[in-house]
Amino acid sequence: MYLVMFIFLFTSLSHAMDLDETHTHEGHHHNDILVDGTKLQLDSDRFQNFVDGLDNSQIAVVSVKGMVCDFCARGIEKTFMKDAAVKKIDVDLTKGKVLIAYTSDAEISFDVISQKILANGQNATGMSILKI
Amino acid sequence: MGISLRVIILFAICINYSDARPISYSGGSTIMAFSDNMKDSLYYHYSPSYKYSIGIERLKDKFFNTNYSYARFTYLLNRKNTDNSQRNLYFQSGLSSKGMEDYFYGVHGDWETRRWFVGFGLKEVVTSKLDYNDQYFQAGFAPYLGEYGDFHTWIMFKTKKNSLNDKRSTYPVLKFFKGNVLMEFGYNDKTEFDVHLMYRF
Repeated sequence: MYLVMFIFLFTSLSHAMDLDETHTHEGHHHNDILVDGTKLQLDSDRFQNFVDGLDNSQIAVVSVKGMVCDFCARGIEKTFMKDAAVKKIDVDLTKGKVLIAYTSDAEISFDVISQKILANGQNATGMSILKI
Repeated sequence: MGISLRVIILFAICINYSDARPISYSGGSTIMAFSDNMKDSLYYHYSPSYKYSIGIERLKDKFFNTNYSYARFTYLLNRKNTDNSQRNLYFQSGLSSKGMEDYFYGVHGDWETRRWFVGFGLKEVVTSKLDYNDQYFQAGFAPYLGEYGDFHTWIMFKTKKNSLNDKRSTYPVLKFFKGNVLMEFGYNDKTEFDVHLMYRF
């Protein structure tokens, strides 16, 4: 037991600085890779279900690390849905993506999104914005 | 072995259930209820930040028909997020309503992917009558990978050892969750069935 704890503690501390590391892709939007979702590594069926009924919107596709548990990701949905500019949100556990549908005139900031993801305990590592 | 000693051992066996999900998202609350043949426990905690939680745990000792509480504090010492996993290390503590001489402290860690889970805990419990430590290791897997919003199932085994009797107890645990609700069912020959419910809001 103590050996397990030591190994766990040692490896944890060696990565202690990783928690706040993110790579901002703000200003580097991939508006041209919307349709099949391949480059964004989206589940195409899930994405189609998400955008059904949506129009005149912006979809932020956020890559998230550490999002391995449905129960743990619940806070992401709760936090973002408090924003009046957010129409809809979905979590893709398999791909590690959060899809957030904003109104067309909303200003989308990766820093703001990243802070909200971090407040739930995960790390946002990148973002693409798709316009529909 | 005296009756009080057995009660303390059984309590120590049960108390680790409240170690699951010790911190919520920033601004989130969690309420947990635990029940078995020896005690009922109701634990509420609030997380001002994703790094720590504060809470109160109310316990009803069915054997001695006494009630007391713990003021609890849990701090996230370290977290490692990767594309496919999350690893956590927590410090946890509690101060009993019985007085300053009754408290506990310890560490609790886990590593989780969508398929696998391992966790451990070490706890030192100090009381006015008796001090002891408790340790556990838990491992499990998800038999299927549910998507967000699905009904999720985990099959786990937990092994525990307590310094009071120096005996190891190993038993299966089934965990289910959907949405904001989580349920755990454990069974061992000492405590029979026990149930743990959790709701996050």
